[in-house]
Amino acid sequence: MPHRLEITLKSDLFDAEGQGICSKAADYFDISIDAVRTVHVITLDATLSPGQLETVRTEIFTNPVTQQSSYDPLPLAFDWCIWVGYRPGVKDNPGSTAVEAMEDVLKIRLAAGENVYTSRRYCLTGSRLTREEMELVARELLSNDIIQQVRVFSKDDWDPGHGIGFILPKVKLDHTPTVATVPMDSDAALQAVSDQRNLALNPNDIPVIRSYFNRPGVQAARQQAGLSDPTDVELEYISQARSDHCNHNTFRGIFRYTDGETGRTETIKSLFKTYIEAPTLTLKDQKDWVVSVLWDNAGVGRFDADHYYTITGETHNSPSNMEAYGGAITGIVGVYRDPLGTGLGSKLVMGSYGFCVGDRNYQGDLKPKLHPRRLLDGVIEGVRDGGNKSGIPTGFGQVTFHPGYMGKCLVFVTALGIMPATVCGRPSELKTTSPGELIVMCGGRVGKDGIHGVTASSETFSAHTPAGHVQIGDPYTQKKMHDFLLEARDQGLISFVTDNGGGGLSSSVGESALLSNGCEVWLDKVPLKYDGLDQWEIWVSESQERMTVAVTPEYIDRFMALSLRHAVESTVIGKYTDSGKLHITYNGATCAFVDMDLLKSGFPDWEFDALWLPPEQRGLYEPVIGEPDDFNALLLDLLARPNICSKEWITRQYDHEVQGGSVIKPLVGQDRDVYSDASVIRPVLRSKKGLVFSQALLPQYSAIDAYHMTACTIDEAVRRMVAVGGDPAHIGGVDNFCWPSIQYDPEKNPDGRFKAAQLVRSCRALADLCLAYGIPLLSGKDSMYVDGHLPGRYGASHKVSALETMQFSAVGVCEDSEKCVTMDVKCAGDRVYILGETRNELGASEYYDLFGYTGRNVPQVFPDKFGPVYDAVFSAIGQELAASVHGIYRGGLGVHLAMVAMAGNLGMDIDLSQVPADGVFRNDTLLFSESAGRLIVTVAPENKDAFEKICAAISWACIGTVTDSGVLSVTGLGRQPLISTPVAELKTAWKAPFQNLI
Amino acid sequence: MTKQKKIKALVLTGYGLNCDNETAYALTLAGADARRVHINALIDGSVSLDDFKILVFGGGFSWGDDHGAGVVQAVRMKHNIGEPIIRFVETGNLVMGICNGFQTIVNLGLLPGFDNNYQTRSLALTYNDCGNFRDDWVTLAIDETSPCVFTKDLTRLELPIRHGEGKFVGDSEVIARLHDDHQIACRYAMPDGAPADNQFPSNPNGSIADIAGICDPTGRVFGLMPHPEAFNHITNHPGWPRFKESIKRGRMTNADLPVTGIRMFENAVNYFA
Repeated sequence: MPHRLEITLKSDLFDAEGQGICSKAADYFDISIDAVRTVHVITLDATLSPGQLETVRTEIFTNPVTQQSSYDPLPLAFDWCIWVGYRPGVKDNPGSTAVEAMEDVLKIRLAAGENVYTSRRYCLTGSRLTREEMELVARELLSNDIIQQVRVFSKDDWDPGHGIGFILPKVKLDHTPTVATVPMDSDAALQAVSDQRNLALNPNDIPVIRSYFNRPGVQAARQQAGLSDPTDVELEYISQARSDHCNHNTFRGIFRYTDGETGRTETIKSLFKTYIEAPTLTLKDQKDWVVSVLWDNAGVGRFDADHYYTITGETHNSPSNMEAYGGAITGIVGVYRDPLGTGLGSKLVMGSYGFCVGDRNYQGDLKPKLHPRRLLDGVIEGVRDGGNKSGIPTGFGQVTFHPGYMGKCLVFVTALGIMPATVCGRPSELKTTSPGELIVMCGGRVGKDGIHGVTASSETFSAHTPAGHVQIGDPYTQKKMHDFLLEARDQGLISFVTDNGGGGLSSSVGESALLSNGCEVWLDKVPLKYDGLDQWEIWVSESQERMTVAVTPEYIDRFMALSLRHAVESTVIGKYTDSGKLHITYNGATCAFVDMDLLKSGFPDWEFDALWLPPEQRGLYEPVIGEPDDFNALLLDLLARPNICSKEWITRQYDHEVQGGSVIKPLVGQDRDVYSDASVIRPVLRSKKGLVFSQALLPQYSAIDAYHMTACTIDEAVRRMVAVGGDPAHIGGVDNFCWPSIQYDPEKNPDGRFKAAQLVRSCRALADLCLAYGIPLLSGKDSMYVDGHLPGRYGASHKVSALETMQFSAVGVCEDSEKCVTMDVKCAGDRVYILGETRNELGASEYYDLFGYTGRNVPQVFPDKFGPVYDAVFSAIGQELAASVHGIYRGGLGVHLAMVAMAGNLGMDIDLSQVPADGVFRNDTLLFSESAGRLIVTVAPENKDAFEKICAAISWACIGTVTDSGVLSVTGLGRQPLISTPVAELKTAWKAPFQNLI
Repeated sequence: MTKQKKIKALVLTGYGLNCDNETAYALTLAGADARRVHINALIDGSVSLDDFKILVFGGGFSWGDDHGAGVVQAVRMKHNIGEPIIRFVETGNLVMGICNGFQTIVNLGLLPGFDNNYQTRSLALTYNDCGNFRDDWVTLAIDETSPCVFTKDLTRLELPIRHGEGKFVGDSEVIARLHDDHQIACRYAMPDGAPADNQFPSNPNGSIADIAGICDPTGRVFGLMPHPEAFNHITNHPGWPRFKESIKRGRMTNADLPVTGIRMFENAVNYFA
């Protein structure tokens, strides 16, 4: 008989969670709730004696100081009660730790089928609350129907003795695992199976698949193995491996690019090979610090003689769009497995986030599944729990608001690790599998969760997307596995390691077996969360927190003992062979038997038509604006724009201090409340060396030309790194593309060819800039299909596509982290310099956007001019001549002068007529043009000559001084006063939009 | 000169703890011989507490902080090595609990340790009043008359906090006794050292009486929410680039730089000197 324990805070204690719900209900829905008390419910579905129940109640589940609890419903007063619990099969982490603690305290083992489930009950008071409002709060604020179930009780419905009753979200599949064979008499038949099973096979792949299975040699071999027609396991394997997510078909596809201006057409055989691989290989030869690129889970660069750093970036857009918290936590925890699975394994040392969402205060007619406000809260919290609970500092982050992300949000997650250069004498960046080595699965168990996640993210979000692909990442399980694997690595027990992410075992084993050229997998050995999974489900499930490791038989006992020590589940599930076959069995019967090289040959490339229309042809022009005369109000309004203003509430939720190596934090300045240009950590605590990291996102420029969007994004990431002291000669890059669908369809995607052209141009810029700045691409990913179909006001649906977006991450090393510089002005009397030229480049700027204009003069990057500027900054910082350095980013000079003043809480006197400019004759252009390649540097008067000498060959000017007036004063081209606003007032305006959020 | 044997310190690892590397590093800087030991190695007896003088329950999210921060860790420790831990305390050794470790030793009952009772749970660290996890730097005012070994000779200290459940609560009698016996070793303060008086963000979590850390009556058991190990180098301090400029210009000297968190670990090591 189940038992239900209810726990709540003592009545005199403040319920912070309840208070949060009240304010969110008011904030999101304008529903006024007087108070909320939260009750934690633990349902113990186990045979326990009264004594045992009392022991676990008092010893584990009730804090005698703060909590009260009872096995009967707690008699809390309410007008409405909302219960929220997980749906069957959704991972209940507190339920698992409850079992662990109970077994320890009671010295028992729960019997098979016994379990513990956690849920919550919220007691809400407010005499005017209606059922309709409560159902809205339950559905939209307290739960997500994909993973949770709810019950709403009114005061009158409630039976005080019965309470919520006993709701056991037990998975009961009652299903005998079965391997199905799929007849494939025709292409159409196989296509039908693909549609029916949600395999998302590309129609062009179908003849190739059929022809493989029809080959006489293949048929003979299969017959010997006891197979005839392809099995569902085999087709799922092919589907996963061929998905755009795993195989990057778009980036490996053929593009026919036509320039609408010249009419010239050219063909690009593979964006990846042409614009990513080729420049990176060229640069790898020039840069001796590049250790390993283009093949592993993350790229590897040299940190010092004894250590390498690893880096990669991912997105988790589709799942986050449906279940913000679960999608985001799974994203960050998932990307943390990549460095862990790079080389022989690296320790995670830093993470970062990038969120792109719709307007937080959107009030229009479109109805996305989650309102941007709720979606943003969810992704913030997901990345927070995933990062903080992993013990990895979140050193950097960005948020971009734009209506295009209403269709699908973007959640970028980036991970950096560090590993010793050698492990037991072996180079740590190399790994392989060899025949005879055992395949070990470590970490979590396998359930239905995550099935078809890979193929679903390769499709536009629609009502048919299976909800089952949303999961909740479990940083606790993964942290244990992380610690275990690093110790196993250091003992030399690991031959090969990779993560189980998209595609599950199908990808991790399938890909690692290519190295040994074969494997045997015993699916019946794979530990399951619950019985009843079909073989194909075990094979492709994306249940999280799992790594696949190759261990030689002589080390397996030590490996398993260490796993036990760390309380990590590890299971031998097969062995690597050199048979040339992927051979999968279940209880001895073969359920897949295909050639390892099946995926290597014969599949057709995807093809795209790309048509470029230059901005002029698309009717873009510069707006006609007379020069404003109230620059004070203008600057205050710009500072309060969502993409400029302070988002301190997000930053402070992320632990950026753990591991003890933070040098330049996300927030700096006298009151540590303004954003730094980049992040610096000391990943090796006994060394002065710093790891420098920055990112940039400038999707707005894609409205004019994705080439310049990409160029400016890369330039900004570089400039950010350089601004804190990064070495321009050591910059590793990571590109993360997020693009709307590019396959042309006259009805469904009429501008597909243009978006394809934007992608080609973006890739060209990537190659051009990487070669110009000498940035090898250490890692990169792409996520396509950033579109959504949103219901509108009249029942019509509207396709909303994201801006063409590329996040760029830059990583480097600085020799002496004590020489790093922050962006806050430090001392009154210091000289204010601007480096680089300002051009008439207001296109797609924040300034134009304030008025609703796009314009045409998008900022451009001139590496020949900018490179020497960055070298000069590097020299100035190296010689300790700069008191502060800050790049000029979104919003332009005006906004960023305000930033450095606000950070230092000091005034500045600035003379715009001194600003080096090319073709700029107006004050608003000087102040708000977003020309790339510029920085603001402040220098103590005694360092004037030395600093100016370093700048001899570049464009620079002293444009004013730092003052103790507390006022930002700017005079215009005619030396007339333009701006005179107290810095404190600027800061108030900049912080105002989100000041009530903590 | 004969080489003096270093004081051995044990830093717990495993089950989601995550500050073990930097805590061990901080102890090493302080002159200790620090070892990271998995909780299970202590439980299964392959490592014995008898070999150590300092035991650190460090920061992290043990058991995911499910069922309350530090709760399951305390349950596991109490039921498996509860007695050896109490013996460790009673034989004159030092115990430090940082953040999740503080939550754990409060749940274990090692604190407040009134009347040599190291088993009673009479205090709690609960959800921050601000309703969220928070990362920030705080100023701590030290009770110089506290018997606390770890805060000896300190008056003020700036350290990072990073927690969601750091609000210190207890019955008023317990708080009064902590106060009277000078067990409240550190309180959250304004930047100038004046009491925070429960003002956010100087008191970041709403702790009663601004309590940031307490010790037992002997001063040998100490727990605090802020992270001294994360201020192991001057560049950890958010103000360091500003200090550096001031020093360059002769407006301050190295002697004016804030004391790092290493001092707490040095106090622990020097206790045995």
